[in-house]
Amino acid sequence: MGKMSREEVYEKLNEVFRDVFDDEDITVTDTTTADDIEEWDSLEHINLLAAVEQEFGMKFNMGQVVSMKNVGEMVDIIMAQI
Amino acid sequence: MGITSFYFLCFFAFILILYYLIPHKLQWGLLLLCSIAYYLLSNNGMLILYPVASVSVCYAGIRLLAAVPPENAGKRRGVLLVTILANIGILVVLKYVNFGIYTIDGIARIFGSSGDLIRSVDFLVPLGVSFYTFSLLGYVIDVYYGIARPQNNYLKLMLYGMYFPVIISGPILKYREHGEQFFEPHAFDYRRVTRGLQRMAWGFFKKLVIAERLGILVDTVYGAYPDYAGTYIWVATVCYAFQLYTDFSGCMDIVLGMSESLGIILPENFRTPFFAGSIAEYWRRWHITLGVWMKEYVFYPVLRTRFFTELNRSWRDRFGKKRGKQYATFAAMFILWLTVGIWHGGDWKFVIGSGLLHWFYIVMEELLAPPCAALMEKWHVDAGGKLVGLIRIVRTFFLVCIGDLFFRSASVGDALAMLKGAVRVWNPHILWNGALLTLGLDGADMVIAAVALMLLLIVSLLERTGSVRDRVARMPLPVRWLIWYALLFAVILFGCYGPGYSAGEFIYQGF
Repeated sequence: MGKMSREEVYEKLNEVFRDVFDDEDITVTDTTTADDIEEWDSLEHINLLAAVEQEFGMKFNMGQVVSMKNVGEMVDIIMAQI
Repeated sequence: MGITSFYFLCFFAFILILYYLIPHKLQWGLLLLCSIAYYLLSNNGMLILYPVASVSVCYAGIRLLAAVPPENAGKRRGVLLVTILANIGILVVLKYVNFGIYTIDGIARIFGSSGDLIRSVDFLVPLGVSFYTFSLLGYVIDVYYGIARPQNNYLKLMLYGMYFPVIISGPILKYREHGEQFFEPHAFDYRRVTRGLQRMAWGFFKKLVIAERLGILVDTVYGAYPDYAGTYIWVATVCYAFQLYTDFSGCMDIVLGMSESLGIILPENFRTPFFAGSIAEYWRRWHITLGVWMKEYVFYPVLRTRFFTELNRSWRDRFGKKRGKQYATFAAMFILWLTVGIWHGGDWKFVIGSGLLHWFYIVMEELLAPPCAALMEKWHVDAGGKLVGLIRIVRTFFLVCIGDLFFRSASVGDALAMLKGAVRVWNPHILWNGALLTLGLDGADMVIAAVALMLLLIVSLLERTGSVRDRVARMPLPVRWLIWYALLFAVILFGCYGPGYSAGEFIYQGF
């Protein structure tokens, strides 16, 4: 995968979120957290990350899984790996 | 030396004064000395070797890890695994060898063996082993993943692992969030010290006025359950639910209050759990630090194993996207709840009462949610209404009580017999014919318990919209003093004390 811009990452990421949470109206930003999306609980967290990993062909480590605070941090991790 | 004992309070008062008199740089050293002294005084002295061994293993593991170059992932993993296994190994030997032996002997008896196939072993279990092991393991794993800074001072790590208030029954700590403050200097802050002491007083009230009192009634019924049936069992079980809550959360108020007065802010373990509208929510409000630990170090890693990723994928193909995902989560949750149950102790009553039964509840909640929602819509019931909310709370409390019945019983067999007795006999008249007064609490005790529970309810309701201590702090001085003195005198006058003005041990102290 070639180097993507942050905007392009967000474009793809929005699709992943919409697919995982079955909601076409979701648009995530740097400051979006699990509190902003009702379905995003600890059960869905891992499903979401697995879908993100598959989409971008990258891997979160366990430390990142438990410590990422918002979508902005998620995008930072994605950008560092693709 | 229990923390509700008179001697301990003297011990703590002495520490508190000394803590702010000595140079602040040395405060953590004082806490370490006190922790070691506390351990030696409350235990068989030799048992201190267990926590010291755990701290040493973790310290050595992290030092080794630092020496391995980051690109050598295999070796790093190896060091992590050995460190984890060494810690878990100690825990398993101490707490679970007999569980295995009893289970094997039990199965052997089913198949006709007359004696014990294997004899159980007597271990002296060190204080707080389940709590400090988890706090330390979390630290090691976080350092491995780079989200916690390694602590290179052995003695400081020892303080983190053995800090005396926490060693009794938690909370389970996260080094990355709470570790560093143990070693920072803390200047005297009148507001913080008094607030800590106020919280301690409230903890003593919960423990001594409510938990110890209800415990008398609970012990009477559970200690001779064949003599009691029907409503007696329900009353005793509801009392036990409140006993367990006030005992454990009271202990936390004392531990967190004590720490607050030392300038150390620990994580909350309870958030009015009996107001939960579902079992899933209950566990986000009850023993929170255990739940978070289990989520981060058991549930997530299990879900991210290749096995579960594959299972998730294949079940999604088979049952559809939503169902497949849900079933895979249920399977992982089974492992989670099995671990939570086992953590409570090597006994099937714990595995069921605080583990698998709750797994079953949560699975049922998930599966029944859509049909229930459909029914409510059909009958035009407002799902977000007050009445439905109240019914949900009562239902959740009832389900929790069933789990607590297993938890409190001597064995799974006893628990099942009690449940049978509870539903077989219909005798609600004992609630008003005075029969309850034969269970060890006289009329005055009953009134005190009822008033104290009322107060607990009011405080809990107020806590939902903000700190009660803040509210009191905003009141005029005379009212403020009146409230705190009344609380103190209530503890002194109405507390249930054992010999030497010491209360019984805390229930979670055994874990």
